[in-house]
Amino acid sequence: MSYVTINQVTKTYENQVVLNNISLTLQKGEFATLLGQSGCGKSTLLRSIAGLEEVDRGSILVDQKNITHLSPRRREVGMVFQSYALFPNMTVFDNIAYGLKMKKESNIKSRVQNMIDMVDLTGKEGAYPHQLSGGQQQRVALARALVMKPKVLLLDEPLSALDAKIRKNLQKELKRIQRELEITTIFVTHDQEEAMTLSDKIFIMNQGIIVQSGAPSEIYTSPLNTFVAKFIGNYNVLNINVFNKLVGNIELKGHEVAIRPEVLELLPVAQDILTTQDNWAIGGFIRDISMTGNVLRYEVETDGSILHVDSLHHQRKILEKGSHVHILIPKKECIVL
Amino acid sequence: MKSSLTFHKMAVGLLIVYLLLPLIGTFLFSIAGKWDHTILPESFTIKWYIELFQDERFFAAFQRTLFLIVMSVGLSVLIMLPTIFIITVYFRKWEGMLQATAMLPYGIPPIVGAVGLIKLYSNGPIQISGTPWILIGAYFVTILPFMYQGIRNSLRTIHAVELVDAAELLGASKFQAFRTVVFPNILSGILVSTLLSVALLFSEFSFAKLLVGGQFETLQIYLSDKLNTSGHLTSAIVITYYSVILLLTGAVLKITFRNQKSPILLNKKQTFSVFKKRSPKKTTVLEGEN
Repeated sequence: MSYVTINQVTKTYENQVVLNNISLTLQKGEFATLLGQSGCGKSTLLRSIAGLEEVDRGSILVDQKNITHLSPRRREVGMVFQSYALFPNMTVFDNIAYGLKMKKESNIKSRVQNMIDMVDLTGKEGAYPHQLSGGQQQRVALARALVMKPKVLLLDEPLSALDAKIRKNLQKELKRIQRELEITTIFVTHDQEEAMTLSDKIFIMNQGIIVQSGAPSEIYTSPLNTFVAKFIGNYNVLNINVFNKLVGNIELKGHEVAIRPEVLELLPVAQDILTTQDNWAIGGFIRDISMTGNVLRYEVETDGSILHVDSLHHQRKILEKGSHVHILIPKKECIVL
Repeated sequence: MKSSLTFHKMAVGLLIVYLLLPLIGTFLFSIAGKWDHTILPESFTIKWYIELFQDERFFAAFQRTLFLIVMSVGLSVLIMLPTIFIITVYFRKWEGMLQATAMLPYGIPPIVGAVGLIKLYSNGPIQISGTPWILIGAYFVTILPFMYQGIRNSLRTIHAVELVDAAELLGASKFQAFRTVVFPNILSGILVSTLLSVALLFSEFSFAKLLVGGQFETLQIYLSDKLNTSGHLTSAIVITYYSVILLLTGAVLKITFRNQKSPILLNKKQTFSVFKKRSPKKTTVLEGEN
């Protein structure tokens, strides 16, 4: 039985469909990510689950309870906002205690203190939000949502305003806390790397619909369409006719062929390379090289087409810009779309 | 760099002299005994102030002005605060309409507004022409732009919509969200708008003269009347009036400056005592705290 069920949810803004018949299910304790570009509807879906947006059609069920038309305060969901939305007039302690006080819960002090310890903010209880760093503010926002023991935790791009190092650290923290509390979490981001790192399940959204869902490795290695291939992993996407001609007049059927840049291999022309049962071998020359730290990205021109090839940054194996190369294309890694 | 700084200092110095000179002159005239053909007064006296503070008409006019200001500004805060909050947070598509309405007073010259109001309220079901009530109404409209801009800017600065969303998700009702989260954070903005409005209404003359005139003598009408009797006394009135404005401006500056340094606390005891010094170590007290 699913813990969260979103059933055919539709939302329209001024005749523009923002959510188009969205359906998804989540198991208890799962970490799911809504991934997509700006304006794809992912935040609207999150806000609809929180009750901050009314849906036009469809239903939202959490723990078998229909919450579609409940007010936000009665939904038992917690949310962390992109801008933290901490209450500036309250200390860290009071921000975290706010929800418990509103619901007149007991043992407020000990529960808040436990949560402060969990998010590693001990000693900052009396500080005001403006006295904290971005990462610390986000921890307070997380603690404030978690202390309420929500059935579902919603995270709306919570790490996007932080710098890279803090972001990586908080990703680990977030994952640890989520695993520790076994809380069902829905995370919204436009960063595919973040989605891959954190999620048990990813829902890729485009123009108000879910275009593909599944485990991160499944989505990464088997994109269902061109949008996912281009969005998720810098795939080389070639027209089927161009590809057929490129690898030697074969007859693949479909519209396009997607190949991940890291499965391609570049070899110097000095070596005699031939097409085999496992690989196609084609010639080309390196137009450009860019470096992203541990990865080198080669831009290789071959018969009028451009292919991107990623290889680990290894000083002894760097090929030079302008040199002619063989490109090895593994047959089983070519995905026909 | 150094010469540029000297130039800036000189420019600011000249501006200060230009602005203060008439005020210093007025102050000197208000305490001058004999001042005919010398640069500075030949003798000093405080008799004009004694005369002013012994004049019951002055205090009556002061009281009337205070009554009008408290009523107008109080009414404006009571009506505009919830209106602007509700529209900003829940009905954002109406914000343009509210903004246009709030800016209307800038487009209507006081003389046109006054004549229109007199005609409208001289007969018909609401005959308040010539009474202080029509002046309260006119003042309410006059300070609308200040109240609107001040409150709206404060709401935008604190991202009120997100704060309300966050509070509601944590179990607060809409009213609780406003009272415990939004209001304490915009209090300084409300106070600044209020004090600016008070300062503006203190010096308002045209509406007072045209709508009620001598029937309800305000401070400015009293001042204009005294202009014809004694220059020294008028100067004493102006200096008294400026002192009040100075106190108000000082309060505005103090609140604004402190607001930049740290937010106002949400504390039942402190909510209405913003002028007191605060200790950052104090924790916030909310309803239901043990």
